Amino acid sequence: MSSLLKQVRVMIRTNLSSLPRRVPISASMVLSVALVVCVLAGFLAMARGFEAALTGTGSQQVAVLLGGGTNQESGSDIPASVIRTLGAMTGDMGVVRDAAGNILSSREIVAPVEVSGTDGVARTLALRGMDASGLGLRDGIVLSQGRVFTPGTREVVVGDRLANDLKLKAGDTLRLGSVDWTVAGRFSAHGSAFESEIWSDLDAVRAAFDRQGQVQSLRLRLTSPQSLTLLQERLGTISGTPLKAIAEADLYAGQAGRTASLIRLFGWPLALLMAVGATAGALNTMMSSVSDRAVEIATVRALGFSRLAAVVGTWTEAVMLASLGVILGLFASWLAFNGWQASTIGANNTRLAFQLAVTPDVLTTAGLLGLAIGAVGGILPALSAARVPLTLALRARG
Amino acid sequence: MTEPALAHIDLSGVGKAFRIGTQTVPVFSGLDLSIAAGDFVAIMGPSGSGKSTLLNMLAGIDSPDSGTLRIGASRLDQMGEGARAAWRAHNMGIVFQFYNLLPMLTAAENIELPLLLKPLSARERRLRVDKVLELVGLNGRGKQYPALMSGGQQQRVGIARAIVTDPGLLLCDEPTGDLDRQSADEALSMLGFLNRELGKTIVMVTHDPQAAGHAKRTLHLDKGHFIEETRAA
Ligand SMILES: Nc1ncnc2c1ncn2[C@@H]1O[C@H](COP(=O)(O)OP(=O)(O)OP(=O)(O)O)[C@@H](O)[C@H]1O
Ligand SMILES: [Mg+2]
Repeated sequence: MSSLLKQVRVMIRTNLSSLPRRVPISASMVLSVALVVCVLAGFLAMARGFEAALTGTGSQQVAVLLGGGTNQESGSDIPASVIRTLGAMTGDMGVVRDAAGNILSSREIVAPVEVSGTDGVARTLALRGMDASGLGLRDGIVLSQGRVFTPGTREVVVGDRLANDLKLKAGDTLRLGSVDWTVAGRFSAHGSAFESEIWSDLDAVRAAFDRQGQVQSLRLRLTSPQSLTLLQERLGTISGTPLKAIAEADLYAGQAGRTASLIRLFGWPLALLMAVGATAGALNTMMSSVSDRAVEIATVRALGFSRLAAVVGTWTEAVMLASLGVILGLFASWLAFNGWQASTIGANNTRLAFQLAVTPDVLTTAGLLGLAIGAVGGILPALSAARVPLTLALRARG
Repeated sequence: MTEPALAHIDLSGVGKAFRIGTQTVPVFSGLDLSIAAGDFVAIMGPSGSGKSTLLNMLAGIDSPDSGTLRIGASRLDQMGEGARAAWRAHNMGIVFQFYNLLPMLTAAENIELPLLLKPLSARERRLRVDKVLELVGLNGRGKQYPALMSGGQQQRVGIARAIVTDPGLLLCDEPTGDLDRQSADEALSMLGFLNRELGKTIVMVTHDPQAAGHAKRTLHLDKGHFIEETRAA
């Protein structure tokens, strides 16, 4: 081992073992780093969780047809004539047909409804009316309680996440709009955004909300994810209204991207601002460490230790204290945030529940910011350790 | 192990002043001094006469403003800070008034510090540490922490650290200034032994005439010059 390495090692060791002399100020640095890490991890976990909820939603092999030139279900309208034309089209359209040759499809509308939760706070939820085929057109749906709604009745099935939130079980009644509905069952969708919806029969929803004859979107099953382009080509031949076919997964992911960016846009400046403050704190902590260790530094320098050893030793102390803060902050954020339920306004201006996801990339990013606080805040103090006057060693009482 | 070249100390025309703000405090101008290899010199003088300043320059901790400072074959006045640190590590030991032991290291680890600057294995370092611990009468005490030792014992650890690299020159600034009479006499006898038996050149600053009595000769520093020189009997 080189002499410098041995010097640095003993400097680091003596620095760290002198920490008990500086507990309060060292702890304040550790805590402020932990706080920054925790805040950034919280925001990033929120963005990640939101993305996970929406990108995990929907299939690439299901196409959603929207009419009227919009990218979202809320403004979309598909005239009955278009549906008739579509049904009459023959030849390969890239969509799955049943044994009788009819296109497998589900006509759907979404009605925003107000529901007050167990906390008494009213929230806007999505009540989706669909054809009976709608459930089969969604992948990964499992009935977790009760049964499916019966067509033509005021029955609903509720997503697990929402049902947990509202404490609903099969057999309960739920007032949506001006009428009561019976909860026929609950479904699970692996935690995806589907679980934040309430599903019912198309005609029942149309009747309850006075939207007779309306269709906002049409779901079709594709023969393969690649056949979406074929479907889009065939749709181009239909005149009357602009039609758009989007993969169901992309529809949800598009919404995720916008909101997740917004969350990060709030989180990063806040975390960076706090990091600047924490860096000033780290600088202060390390400066007082250098003055606390001045006699020791001067002594080993008088024995022949190099300046670089004093610099590296001090800088390492800063990085190690920051690491401690990082570990603390990451652990705290994982405890506090992972799986924590949050909700936001999702598609159709309705509430979307999701879980914060403290993923490895969230931990890495927040951890690196924490380390940077120590690495940057330690530079000036490390340089000042090199300038401790050696004459101090002979003068001062160690 | 090769013996370091015995160092003859030679200062000629050394000037040194400190600047405090706009004021200049002159300490030396045209200072001449010659100390033969193997000598044991006590330097006495009133407070503020520049004893520590002289010692710092000899140690390469501080550098003269003018003049030449030669120790053995080396011109310390022409070396930069880094070169002087390396030179210190290989050619001299320093004994401090307040021992300057690192409290978080054991006696043995404190003594080992200067050895870390040399290309020695852990085993070689331990052998050397054990040897000097025995030399200063502290065998078996290596694992003890300084805080648990008496002042006299701590200073013996300090002396052991100064000689562990077997340097030719020992610089001591008031090595007994913080010790009781008996501990002081023990430490001084030890320095005398190192000078007599191992041939170390020793320069010791002291206020204590009894301490100076252990040296071969005493130099009195006053107003920037050595004004008197007495030979010990
Ligand atoms: N770093 C410094 N900056 C400014 N002035 C200094 C510095 N070091 C020493 N001096 C001044 O230089 C002069 C000599 O100081 P020095 O410490 O060498 O004296 P000394 O003989 O060792 O005194 P003492 O017996 O009190 O230890 C004094 O006037 C002192 O104030
Ligand atoms: Mg002095």
